[in-house]
Formats: sequence, structure tokens, C-alpha cells
Amino acid sequence: MAAWGERLAGVRGVLLDISGVLYDGGEDGGTPIPGSVEAVARLKLSKLKVRFCTNDSQKSRRDLVGLLQRQGFDISEGEVTSPAPATSLILKERGLRPHLLIHDGVRSEFDQIDTSNPNCVVIADAGEGFSYQNMNEAFRVLMDLEKPVLISLGKGRYYKETSGLMLDVGAYMKALEYACGIEAEVVGKPSPEYFQLALKEMGVEAHEAIMIGDDIVGDIGGAQRCGMRALQVRTGKFRPSDEQHPEVKADGYVDNLAEAVNLLLQHAIK
Amino acid sequence: MAARRALKAVLVDLNGTLHIEDAAVPGAQEALKRLRGASVIVRFVTNTTKESKQDLLDRLKKLEFDISEDEIFTSLTAARNLVEQKQVRPMLLVDDRALPDFKGIQTSDPNAVVIGLAPEHFHYQILNQAFRLLLDGAPLIAIHKARYYKRKDGLALGPGPFVTALEYATDTKATVVGKPEKTFFLEALRGTGCEPEEAVMIGDDCRDDVGGAQNVGMLGILVKTGKYRAADEEKINPPPYLTCESFPHAVDHILQHLL
Repeated sequence: MAAWGERLAGVRGVLLDISGVLYDGGEDGGTPIPGSVEAVARLKLSKLKVRFCTNDSQKSRRDLVGLLQRQGFDISEGEVTSPAPATSLILKERGLRPHLLIHDGVRSEFDQIDTSNPNCVVIADAGEGFSYQNMNEAFRVLMDLEKPVLISLGKGRYYKETSGLMLDVGAYMKALEYACGIEAEVVGKPSPEYFQLALKEMGVEAHEAIMIGDDIVGDIGGAQRCGMRALQVRTGKFRPSDEQHPEVKADGYVDNLAEAVNLLLQHAIK
Repeated sequence: MAARRALKAVLVDLNGTLHIEDAAVPGAQEALKRLRGASVIVRFVTNTTKESKQDLLDRLKKLEFDISEDEIFTSLTAARNLVEQKQVRPMLLVDDRALPDFKGIQTSDPNAVVIGLAPEHFHYQILNQAFRLLLDGAPLIAIHKARYYKRKDGLALGPGPFVTALEYATDTKATVVGKPEKTFFLEALRGTGCEPEEAVMIGDDCRDDVGGAQNVGMLGILVKTGKYRAADEEKINPPPYLTCESFPHAVDHILQHLL
């Protein structure tokens, strides 16, 4: 592989995944990944632009930011691209009234949305809310629609919590797709529209931006397809087999965010 | 049609075709008697994974169907056969009532996942457990992959969506043992001495009953009872050999045209 200097040349903006890069979530709120609090602080002191780009759909943006601030992270709501607010905008634009299969923690993002007489289903990481009964309700709403619309906040396979790996919304999205014979619209990584939204909010072109994430397909593959570069961290849901992934090759693999930031500060800004 | 041989066997689906939960399809008992009056072998093949063979028999008897245990072939039987063949210890995501069909199978310290229709197990915690076993390399055996089924209160998710969820999350493929798998239909005919070309399948699921049977060379008859919804017959290509109102109509057609 080319030297780091070559691989990181011309980077002006950094998109940071949150879960598995900044912290590992868990029932107790989770714990920061060692070195990540300082790494974010150093990055923000540099000339690089920084934005956070998450697929977390279990918490409202405000709660997520509050949780990270309590863990010591320098982060504010305005710096975070997250799927629930993005979906809320889409629903308003298209006049869609959703049946919500979501976690209570994110419900406040949909406060302004009319949910009567639903004409689509929105599915997010509902956690314990993924009961048979709730899945069945969403299924029935879709089957009763002439043109079923399913919007999924991300399509991740799984993520890591302190207690172990957990099924993510993508698995349940696939379940509903299969049951109804439809294809969901994804709001979140790796959807190109979502990366483009984050880039626009950061004010950096794709070729000058780099994504740092723990998901080889959702973060790395998705960002690269948009013309960005991408580094995979060996934290969070990273598994050693990711480095031999048949389709996706990151522009670099680093042990954690701290190492990624060291490299960026050394090589990206000349 | 030139290659077809004389009809020797009729395979009949149970729930949705002969009965809908605890109610017989009108005229189905009479129709079955008429069918038995002809010289064909009748087998009852079902993806019903909630119930053991004994439960199925009890219900059919209560509904006054004349059926014996050795005429029934279920996807549970097929799954048990596979577990024994692979010599694995399954985590059984099946309805409690189906457990008698797995009597004697070792299930502690599981290294496989068997998934049937088990709404009470299809929730976050249990699915996470199954997911973690699969990531560690445990095989996934699906009793069937039906998308949904019909309950008294409406359509309800079958095991298929949850199997698909686990497949997607772990990037693996389940071994499916029930309808519409080819091996299921061939196993069901085993011991009858009939070839698929000598058999017809009657069911209410266009893909799983009719499509599956036609894929092994049987004729498929779709009935408009149970889970049938308008235009279902357009879901498969080639289309069903015949689509008719209900089981008694299917039997009439067989007696008049196929024998």
C-alpha cells in the first residue's frame, strides 16, 4: 500500500462514525473507546473540518449528544448528521404519514409528523421494540397499502454493545422486505444521498473528505462509492476478517480513532 | 403435457386448504372421501411447524377428516432428519407444541439453530442469541421460509422474514427443509412408488405449494382459500396448472380430468 502521506494527501474534512469509533454503546450508556475523547479534541483544534455521521436511530440527536458530552466528548447537536432528523424532513417533503416502528428514545424527532392513517412504515433500531407483535403491526400496515413504502433508518447488520454484538435495524428491515416482497428506502449510511447530505453540511467535497468508521460495508464501502476515502478502525464491530473483505478495501486500517487522528494530523495537513 | 403419466398420487396441504385453523373448509371432508374412492395415493404435506404430528392428527380427527398418521409428512419431520444427519445440538426456535417431534434430541450447549414458526421466540433477545451462535459458525436450519400465514385476526408473519433477518445479519444461507424445497416434495413421495410426474399438489400458497411442486415436475393446483389473495396466481411462472375456488373443486377437477 502507498505511504500514508500519499493516501491522506489533500484531506480537508473528516466524517466520524460515532458508535464503535467514539464509544461502545450499552445499557448503562456505554463507555468511551480509550483515546477517542482526546482524539476528537485534537482533531477539532486542527484546521480539518469535522462532522459526525451516525446511523444511530435509537436515540434522538439531542440525547446522543448529551450522552457523548457526559463522557467528555467535544460535540454539539449542530455537528451531527443522524438519520431520524433526515427522515423527518423527507416525510414532510413527501407528505408521508408514517407508522413508526422505532425506539421510544427517538420518538421526539417525529413530534411534528402526522402519524394518523399511515401511508408508509418507518423502521429504526427499535431494540427491545422488535417484538413479534410490533413487527406484525408494521407488516400489516404495509400489506394494506396499495404501494407499500418502507423507510429504514440505516441498514446495518449488527453493532457492538458492551454486552456483545446486537442485531441492527438492517436485519429487521430485510425481514419486512422479504415478508412483503418490497425494497426499503434507506436513510443512513451507506446510502449515497446520506453521505452527500453530511458532506454538504460539512462544506467539503467528497474527494477532500475521509470517513472513519468501524463498519466495512456501511462506512467504508459506502463512503468510497461516494468518492470519499475511508479508514476502518479496529474497534467496535470490527472483525479481523474485515481486512480480507471480498468487495471492500479500506484506504487504511488503524487500531483506533487515536491512531487515525495521529496519522491525519501528521500527513493530511501540510 | 405429452410427457405426463397417469396420475397416481395427490399431495394435499392442510392449513388453508383442508381447514383454516379450527374450521374445515366447507365440503372438504366429503371431497376427501370422493378422492379416496379413486385409485390414488393421498399424502398430506404441511409446513405447519407449530404442531407435532399428533396435534395435527387430533385436529383433523376432530374436524372429521379420515386421515392416518403415516399419511402426513411435515417440515418438522424433515428438520429432525437433518439434525440427526448433521449430528448437531440445536437451539430450537420452534413452538413448544412442536417439541414432541424433537424428543431425544440433545439441545444443551447448542451449536446449531433450528427455526420454525415460533412467534413467542421471535423477539430481540432470543434473535440476538441465535445471531451470536450463527456468527460462531453454527448452521441455520429453517423449517420453512413462508412469508406470512393467515390467522383468524388477519395475516401474520411467518418464519421466513426472521430467517431472512438472520441470514442477512450473518451473511449466511439457511438450509431450508420445508416447502417449497425440492427435497421436501421428493421426500414426501418416498415410499409411494410414484414419480413427481405422476403427482399433483393442492395448496393455498402459490409459491410454496404450487410453485414448489411444479419445480419438481408435479402439477400444482392453487385454491382460493386460506392465505390466498387476489392475483396470487400471477406470482409464479409458469403459472399454476389450475386455480380453483376450494379443495372440493380441485378434487372434482382431478376426478373428471386427471384420472
